[in-house]
Amino acid sequence: MRVTNIVSDVQYAMQQSQQNLATALQQVSTGLRVNQLSDDPIASANMVTSLASSANVDQYTKNVSSVLSQMQTADAAISSIVTSLNTAVTLGTEGATGTASTANKTAIATELEGLLTGIVGEGNTSYQGAHLFSGTDSSTVPFVAASATYTSAQGTTASPLTAATALTAGSVTTISDASTGETMTYTAAAGDTIATLQSAVASAVSAGTLSSGTTATINSGGQLSIATNSTTNGVVVSSNDVALGSMTAVSGTEVANAYAYVGNNSVNEVQVGDSLSIATNLPGSTLLTSGTNVISALNSLITALKSGTSTEIGTATTAITSALNAVNVSRSPLDSAISRLDSQESFLSQEKLTLSTAQTALVGANLADSATNLSAAETTNSAVLAAAAKVMPNTLFDYMK
Amino acid sequence: MSLSTSLNIAVEALNAATGALQITNNNIANANTTGYTREKVVLQESATTTTTSGVSLGNGVTFEGYQSVRDELLQTRIGQETQAQSGASAQLSSLQAIEPTFTTSTTDIGTEMSAFFSSISSLSTTPTSSTLQEAMLNAGQNLATAFNTASSTLTSQQSGLNTQVTQDVGEINQLSKQIAALNPQIVSLKASGQTDGGTLQDQQDALVLKLSALTNVSITQTDNGETLTTGNGTPLVVGSQSYTLQTSTGTDGMQHVLDQSGNDITSSLTSGDLGGTIQIRDTTIPGLLTSLDTLANQFATAINTAQASGYDQDGTKGGNLFTVSSTVAGSAASIKVAITDPAKIASSSDGTTGSNGNLTNLSAVQTTKLASGKTPGDAYASLVYQVGSLTSSANAESTAASSTLVQLNDQLKSVSGVSTDEEAANLIQYQQAYEAAARIVSVVQSLFSITMTMGTAAAE
Repeated sequence: MRVTNIVSDVQYAMQQSQQNLATALQQVSTGLRVNQLSDDPIASANMVTSLASSANVDQYTKNVSSVLSQMQTADAAISSIVTSLNTAVTLGTEGATGTASTANKTAIATELEGLLTGIVGEGNTSYQGAHLFSGTDSSTVPFVAASATYTSAQGTTASPLTAATALTAGSVTTISDASTGETMTYTAAAGDTIATLQSAVASAVSAGTLSSGTTATINSGGQLSIATNSTTNGVVVSSNDVALGSMTAVSGTEVANAYAYVGNNSVNEVQVGDSLSIATNLPGSTLLTSGTNVISALNSLITALKSGTSTEIGTATTAITSALNAVNVSRSPLDSAISRLDSQESFLSQEKLTLSTAQTALVGANLADSATNLSAAETTNSAVLAAAAKVMPNTLFDYMK
Repeated sequence: MSLSTSLNIAVEALNAATGALQITNNNIANANTTGYTREKVVLQESATTTTTSGVSLGNGVTFEGYQSVRDELLQTRIGQETQAQSGASAQLSSLQAIEPTFTTSTTDIGTEMSAFFSSISSLSTTPTSSTLQEAMLNAGQNLATAFNTASSTLTSQQSGLNTQVTQDVGEINQLSKQIAALNPQIVSLKASGQTDGGTLQDQQDALVLKLSALTNVSITQTDNGETLTTGNGTPLVVGSQSYTLQTSTGTDGMQHVLDQSGNDITSSLTSGDLGGTIQIRDTTIPGLLTSLDTLANQFATAINTAQASGYDQDGTKGGNLFTVSSTVAGSAASIKVAITDPAKIASSSDGTTGSNGNLTNLSAVQTTKLASGKTPGDAYASLVYQVGSLTSSANAESTAASSTLVQLNDQLKSVSGVSTDEEAANLIQYQQAYEAAARIVSVVQSLFSITMTMGTAAAE
């Protein structure tokens, strides 16, 4: 083959070796084998998925930590309640002995009233502005002092409410009973009247949701009145029906040591792993009022100490012991969730490491290999340049005279 | 036979040597001219004469001019490879401009989508926190912006390519005219006896090569010169006539290429810079845009559906979180967050402010398959793969074509290139021939003198 002009071949060779040098340099300085999508399209696509997983693991880790502190706060409140209940059992036992005097019993009752206030306070604990034991209704205070009678804002002597007064469709009226620990929720359907509400209340009483003797009547002032007809039991009533107006407690009808639960029973779950969600709250009803009503058990003991017989005090104290056991049972899911979170934390950090390693394997450059490649590319480049310098200048004209 | 015959022969030899020197000079001068084919000196032995005694004698040398050393087959192959290389190179540069948008960074779609889902999860730990609610809206807007940016990168590439198409067509028209102008000149040159078009042919070949870099060209040799067609037979040059191409805006807003009669030939232009540009503009980018728009539209719809199944902080049913165009086309450009009030995030499943039940539905969008059959993350990953693999293929094609071109050009140079060393040797050769012929002139001259002074006293 006739060779005419070496220069363009030399230029092409220099270009090639410069490009190799540039690629080797990029790999060493970024530490990545894949610097553009086109370097390895499959690895690039897999990286997208892997990075998304890493981001999820990071978030789960944050969730574990935030949920953990929330649940530990709840757990501390429950521990405090348990301590108080233990004290109550001790005090009750003391008061049940035949040798306790009236003065003693009154003193014990006063102490127990203090414990009850403390327990209700713990039940109303908030964490970062949200109540921990209201279920999902975290802006509402869960345990509210009960009263014997509630009346509606609407209705006067001149224009009273009647059984035939229509209720607003979709409105919700709730009656929470301090003694049963249950809540009756009544949602008005189209065409419902106060009479419908009244019969709903009656059904709730027969079903045991509301204590017997609880009624819904129109009082002499033309208002709807919901009352327990008892001095020892109270309710908390609320309604958003404009036909009734807001329900307020009649002053002077507060029942001492009676608290009703007005939160809901729903539980929030937070995802702390790809297939792990943890319930993060314990509704106050589950803890203190539903099933075994801890608050009303304490109320009964206080009443028995003030005016009951030793037997009655003894019975009431036994009820507190059962209540204490019930609390320990209802708190256990929270405790086991807390320990699951601890082990999840270490699992997540392991997961993070696994993902990082996989990502390096996908797109990272082996530093030793890159450095060697760079050195080789550099050597080749120098050789090409030296050869070019040697070869290019010679022509026949240099040698002709 | 006579002395004057010898003189004539010597003079013709001087002529030949001078002519050869000139040709060698021309070669050396044009050693670096692109497209120059070296010229070989053509010397022909002059016709013999027969003397009266029947003896045949040679009559010296006739200088016939030069012959360009050309390999037309090789040039055709170079033209084809140039078309392929230009086409791949045009596609590569466009794709390389698109690549960074889909590369993992702090603001690409994949990263922002992860951040959005993280913000939903974060909110689920404290659903009433207005800080976390605002953070979720911000993350949503960042994601929408990432979609907007990706879409506008693709559409602005398309606009840039439109300009390129118009430019290329302008250049093609200019070249066609120039090539057509050369055809009659070359034809008449050949008619006058030269077998090769010489310098004019060199010029025409260089123009045809430039044209090959722009579009796919078929070349046919006819009696009227070279006929050039493009696409599916659209004529560019026939004899001395050149045919212009035009551009006009189509219904899709893109520049279409029309032949002289107004027929749309855009889809028949498949290689060269114009062909590569059209391929990217009309096929590749619209394909990527459709995938992007589909993802944006289906993602926004899924989030909005999840939002509608829950309640916001005011206890009302959730409204749309994202607004997006109702058609798939334009979704990525139009997607944005529809909510400004953080309380409108539908986190609750039961109407209470503290419930996070509906956030589970929003989070589930990350792991649920969209109507396209892939989860949002997988759909994006496959888009990333598409871009990467298109760029990688274009790169490979361009590199392969370049390297083939280098080899072909080397072969062509081996045939038609000027070797200055070779010309230097030729210089010496013709210089000696000239000296020898000049010497003969001197000898003949002195013989003349002797003959003139034969038999005279001066002859002593």
